[in-house]
Amino acid sequence: MLSPHHFQLNIWRIWALIKFELIRLFFTKRGMLAVLAFATAWFIILYYPVNSAVSIVSSEGFKDMAKQMFGVLGLSELLNWPVSELALYWLIAIYSFPVFALIASSDQTCADRTRGTLRFISLRASRNEILFGRFLGQVLIISTLILLTLLATVVMATWRDTSLFIPALTKSLYLFKELLIAVLPFIALMAFFNSFLRSAKLTAVITLLFFGLGSIFISILEYQAPIAIHLNYLFPGMQLDAVVGQQGLDMSHYVIPLIQTVAYLTLASIFMKRSAL
Amino acid sequence: MSIEQGNNLIKVSNVNKLFPSKQALKNVSFEINQGAPVALVGPNGAGKTTLFSILCGYIQQTSGEVSIMGHKPGSAATFGNLAALPQDAQLDPRFSIAHQLKFYGQLQGFNRKKSEYEAERTLDLVGLKEVLNEKPGALSHGMRKRVTIAQALIGEPKIVMLDEATAGLDPLHAREIRELVASLSGNTTFILSSHDLSELERLCQQVLYLENGVLKEHQTLANEVDLSYITLRMANVIPDFEQVLKSISQISDVKNTQDKEYLISVTPNENTLPIDIQILQLCHDKNWQYRQMINGKTLENQLFS
Repeated sequence: MLSPHHFQLNIWRIWALIKFELIRLFFTKRGMLAVLAFATAWFIILYYPVNSAVSIVSSEGFKDMAKQMFGVLGLSELLNWPVSELALYWLIAIYSFPVFALIASSDQTCADRTRGTLRFISLRASRNEILFGRFLGQVLIISTLILLTLLATVVMATWRDTSLFIPALTKSLYLFKELLIAVLPFIALMAFFNSFLRSAKLTAVITLLFFGLGSIFISILEYQAPIAIHLNYLFPGMQLDAVVGQQGLDMSHYVIPLIQTVAYLTLASIFMKRSAL
Repeated sequence: MSIEQGNNLIKVSNVNKLFPSKQALKNVSFEINQGAPVALVGPNGAGKTTLFSILCGYIQQTSGEVSIMGHKPGSAATFGNLAALPQDAQLDPRFSIAHQLKFYGQLQGFNRKKSEYEAERTLDLVGLKEVLNEKPGALSHGMRKRVTIAQALIGEPKIVMLDEATAGLDPLHAREIRELVASLSGNTTFILSSHDLSELERLCQQVLYLENGVLKEHQTLANEVDLSYITLRMANVIPDFEQVLKSISQISDVKNTQDKEYLISVTPNENTLPIDIQILQLCHDKNWQYRQMINGKTLENQLFS
């Protein structure tokens, strides 16, 4: 039987690890610079495309054209959203946050392992606690950033029309859940790569090869054996194209990323346990 | 199994460690009980760091059993009870020393106040209270080493393993670390690896000597005076020193172990003046300056000659 003791997970120690990650981002010079860069990028996104696109989307003349264009892309549902700022936010966020999550969480344990810092930590926390503490720390960081950008969009929409406050807030909570589920497997993939790679740079390269060469490789395999199409389930974000239109969604669109997350974390746990510190 | 296992802290039985290119440890077995520091000695590449890493749970043995207070290395029961200064391990350069030591204290289960106190207390022990808010990059190599020694003392663990603790420290600070180890011994059992045999000799009661992955000797340095050997260090080179010494009837052999150092074998004889007095008398008569006289063999001579 696998008991909690078997996994050696202690909430107090995991929380201490999570707090350390939060401080790394929000209270160190390098972390604050990253947050500043992130905020600037989102300021530009919100100020220019999102802000101006609202007037375009809501102008009658453009609406038909937009409907056609979005219809082709399977996005016509988005035009029905009362808060058009959030529709545009969603289009940008659903693709940019996963990529941002990859970059932001590319160094969960590898630099500490190379430097030997993990040797100090592993005398005080189990390897699973380190793995999950770091993973949850990254999840919490990305969630905070998603929430902040959503909040900014809500403020912007409310500025335009105060009656939009409640619908915008409700929709944001929903979008937050969608975005969070979307980024989870990406952070878990990074936790997995970190369990055996020795630097964040190497992790970035391997991630690029994984998504780039990986999909080419699977297409070739698919040509030989159609069953290889299932290998696409290896890639985090494989459900994103279906999710983005927010039409005809079923449970599988949530189950796929959640299973991917659990699978990559399990692999990471196995690799972590065996790796030499 | 419980932590209360008498005073037995570490039990290693028939441990082997195979790396792809070589066997780092061969059938190593020993026990360490609570008490005086234990020395881990051996030439470079003998397997000392491998053994350290296995005890700390950084790597796993290929076969054999290791128990730390009745538990597997790296298991939660050892957290806070076993600490180490691993070779070449560095603190995170982005955080202050205080922040990282506090973090380690918190992982050991201390609240904020107690972990703050522990960070200050341990830095004070290694004489570095003033660097509390510095980042590791601002410190010299020796200071960083002392900070990582402080790290190993958080929460007064039962076992502290120091791999080459004084290597790279200036003589004054090396001595302070030795004094620290001596003063904390008792509650804490230290396991020290070092190339400075005289340092280990001063501190340790038990010696583990590794060579090519084999535990060659597992001995206890005699507490009682061993009168069958005397080690004598002279100030100058004296011609025919060995011959003259041998003129004392009790002395059966004199070996020049290294420059100006002699290992004197003694046949005990109760009826004469004690042999050390006789040797000192001879030095006095001949007007020879000596530096040091040691009862028994030095650790170095026990191991290498």
